[in-house]
Amino acid sequence: MTSAEQGNSKIKAIIRACRLIMRMNQALPEARKSEAMYYQMLINYFTRLLNARENGDFVAAHTVFFPAELIYAMDMVPMHAETTTWMTALFTGECSDILAAGAELGLAYEICTPHRGLAGAFALGVLPRPDVMLWSNMVCDNTAKSGELIMEICNCPGFFIDHPFKDSEYERNYLVGEMEDMVHFLEEKSGRKMDWDKLSEIVARMDRQIELVREVNELRKAVPTPFHSQGFLELVSSDYLFPGQPEAIEYLETLKQELADAVKEGKGAVSNERFRLMTLFLPPMHLMAFLEKISQEYGAVSVVEPFFTYWGEGRLDPTKPLESVAKKSYMIPEMRMYGPMDERALNSIVDCAKQYKVDGAIYYADVGCRHTCATIKLFKDTLNNIDVPVLTLDCDVVDPTATSEEEMGDKLEQFFELLEDR
Amino acid sequence: MADNTQRNNIKLHTLDRFREINSTFPKTSQLLEHKRRGKKVFGWLCTYSPEEIMHAADILPIRITGYSQETELDEGNAYLYVNNCSFSRSCLQLGLKGEYGFLDGVVGGSTCDGARRLFDLWRNYIGTPFHHVLTVPRKYTEKAHALYYHEVAQFKKHLEDFLGFEITDEALHKSIELYNESRKLLRELSDFRKLDSPPITGAETMEVLNASFHMPKEIFNQWLKSLLEEISASGNSHTGRARIMLIGSVLTNPEFIKSIEKQGGLVVTDELCTSTRYWGDPVLLEGAKSPLEAISRRYLNNFPCARMFPSDERFNRIIDFALDFKVDGVISQIIRYCVPYCHDLPLLTKRLKAQGIPTLALDVEYGTPGSGQIQTRVQAFLEMLEAKRK
Repeated sequence: MTSAEQGNSKIKAIIRACRLIMRMNQALPEARKSEAMYYQMLINYFTRLLNARENGDFVAAHTVFFPAELIYAMDMVPMHAETTTWMTALFTGECSDILAAGAELGLAYEICTPHRGLAGAFALGVLPRPDVMLWSNMVCDNTAKSGELIMEICNCPGFFIDHPFKDSEYERNYLVGEMEDMVHFLEEKSGRKMDWDKLSEIVARMDRQIELVREVNELRKAVPTPFHSQGFLELVSSDYLFPGQPEAIEYLETLKQELADAVKEGKGAVSNERFRLMTLFLPPMHLMAFLEKISQEYGAVSVVEPFFTYWGEGRLDPTKPLESVAKKSYMIPEMRMYGPMDERALNSIVDCAKQYKVDGAIYYADVGCRHTCATIKLFKDTLNNIDVPVLTLDCDVVDPTATSEEEMGDKLEQFFELLEDR
Repeated sequence: MADNTQRNNIKLHTLDRFREINSTFPKTSQLLEHKRRGKKVFGWLCTYSPEEIMHAADILPIRITGYSQETELDEGNAYLYVNNCSFSRSCLQLGLKGEYGFLDGVVGGSTCDGARRLFDLWRNYIGTPFHHVLTVPRKYTEKAHALYYHEVAQFKKHLEDFLGFEITDEALHKSIELYNESRKLLRELSDFRKLDSPPITGAETMEVLNASFHMPKEIFNQWLKSLLEEISASGNSHTGRARIMLIGSVLTNPEFIKSIEKQGGLVVTDELCTSTRYWGDPVLLEGAKSPLEAISRRYLNNFPCARMFPSDERFNRIIDFALDFKVDGVISQIIRYCVPYCHDLPLLTKRLKAQGIPTLALDVEYGTPGSGQIQTRVQAFLEMLEAKRK
C-alpha cells in the first residue's frame, strides 16, 4: 500500500466511525438533532480531505489554533493536523504505532504526545501529504516547533505564523502582518488568489459563531444545566474545523434551540444534577464515554470550560477581515493561557466559577503539557480562595496507557464524596 | 589515556577570584557591595533580556539561575509541576526559599513555556517589586525587529517610570561600550580554545562565565583582562582524545564539562546560552538610528535559541562553530522537558551528520555533574570518535 493509499484508508476509517456513531445515536429515543449534524459535519470535512487529490484541491495542513478562515477563503482544503491524527488514533486504535513512529524520528518522550504523534503520523503516511504545512506558536513551544520537521518529512513548503505574546495594538498589527505574509506565500505556492469578499463573509459568520457559543454558554448557566459533560468538545471542534462555515452556524443554531427548550422544560443533562463542575483542560480522549457514564451516575456535569468555550470579549468586523481574524486569535478562550498569566487571566476563572455556580473544578493535568501543568498550583490557589475545590487528575490526552478507567473513576468518586460532604 | 594531558600547566590565579564569586552564589560579595551602596539589583531570566538598559539605569543586572549543582526541588516541583524543566524549577526553588530576596526587579521574555511560566509564578508568589516580561518575536524579519524594538522601548519606559528618572542615550552608549568590551574579551578567551592544545579548559571557561552573570561588568572586564594576560604568559596546554562541541539546554555546572574532559574529551566550544550564545554578537551602533535600536537588533539577531524560526539559522551557526573549532564530535545535553531543543535534535543531528560530525544526545537534569550513565555514554562516544579518526 502506498503512503497516499494508507493515508486515505485512515481518513476512510474516521468517516466510517463518524457514520456509525451518528447512526447509533440516532437510534436513541432522545437523540439530539444537533449531534447528528455535528457528526455529519465531520463526515463532510474528512470526505473533502479524502477526495482532495482526485478533485485537484490544494491541501493545507495546519496546527491547532491556526486561523483556518484564511485557508477556507482561498478555497483550499484544510487539514487540522492534531484533530486528524488523534481521531485516526482513536478510531483505529493505532495510538502506540503513531507515537512509536514519532520516537523513531528522534523526538524525545518529553515532547507531548499530541505533537510527538503528529510527526509520527506524517512519517507513517497516516495523514495525507499536504501541499503546504502551516503552523504557529499558538499555544505552546510544541506547536511552534512542530512544523519544520513535518515540512522535511512531507517534502513540502511551509509557513510559520509568529503570534505575539501579549495583547496590544502594536502586537495585533504585527499579527496582521504575519497573516498578510502568509496569504502572499499561499498565493505563490498555490497559484490561487485570496478572495477578500469571501473572507469577509467568513468573518461575518465567525462573529455569529462566537455569539452563538456565548448564547449556548448562557443557557448552560441554568440549573439544571442542559448540555451534557463532554458536549463542549463539539463547541471546540466547530471552531477548530469549521470557523465561519455555514454548517457550523446551522449546527449551533440547532443546538441553542434544543438547549433553550430543555431549559424551558427544566430538563437537565443529567437526571439528578448534584455537582456543577468547571473543566480545566482536556480529558483523555479515550475515556470520553467512561467520563460521560460517570457524569450520569453521579449527577456531575461540566458547566464551563474557561479555556475552551469561554470566549473573550469583542466582535469581529467583516469590513476589516484580516484585522478581525487577528482579533479573533486574541479572543479565543485558549489565549488566556498563552499571554502573561496576570490578574486578567486569573479573574476569568473566578468569574466563570461564580457565574456558572460551580461546586468544584477538575484539572486534567496532561503529563506532556508544560504550559498548562505549570498553572495547577496557581489555579488551585485562585479557586480555593473562593471556596471552590480542585481535583487534579494526572493523565495523557491521547495515550491510553497513561491512565486507566479504574484509577480515574476512583479519584472522581472520592472527589464527589468530598463535594457531597460540603 | 583517560584524562586531559596537561603539560606542566601552571595555576591561573585569576581563576580563583572568579571561583570565589561563584562559591558565594547567589549572594555574591560584588552584588552585596552594590546593594550596600544603595543601588538596585535586577534579575533576568533569559538571554533575550537586554542587560544594557538596566545597567544604564545604574542597576546591576544579574542572571537568575539555580545552584550549579543538583538541588532538592520540593517547592519548585509543587509550584511548577515536574514536567517543566528542572532549570525553571531550580530558579523558582531559590526564589521561593528567599535566596533572591535581594532583587529589586525581575525581567523575563516570552521565550519558551518554561521561562514564561517561571515568570508568571515568580510574579504571583515572590514579592519582587518590579516585573517586566517582553514579547520576543520568533523571527528575524524587519517586522519582527520593529516589534522587538517597540517591546524594548516599552521596557525602558516602564523602568524609567519605576525609577523616576530618564535613561539617557549617553548612559546607553556607555553601557553598550562596557558590555561590548565584555563580549570582546570573552571572544578572546574563546579564541584560545581554537588552538590544537588550548591553554584553558571548557570547565574553567564555564567558571569564568558563571561569575560574569553575578558581578558588575566593570570589575569582570578587569579581571578577565588579567586572566587573558595570565593565560598568554602561562604556556599552558591541554590535549585530549577528541575535540568536542557542547550544545543544548542551559548549563552552569562546570563539573559536567569536567566529567567529559576527565575522560579525554576536550570541550573546545559550545552553543550554550550561558556561554557562546550569551556573549555571541556585539551591539552594533553603526547604521542604527539610536542606541536603543542597536540594542534591540542585537538581542534578536544574536546567536539564536532553539525557539527561533527558521531553525537553520541556529543549525548553520552551530556548524560554523564546529568547523571553526575543528571539533570531532558534538555532545548535545538537553534538560528533560526542554522542548525547543528536543524538537530540533532530529533535524540538527541530520545536518551535523551531513558534515561528517557525529552527535551524542544526552538527556540530563539541570545541575547534573555528569556522573554514572552519562560518563559511560561519553566514554563510548569518545572511543567511537577516536576509532573514526584512525
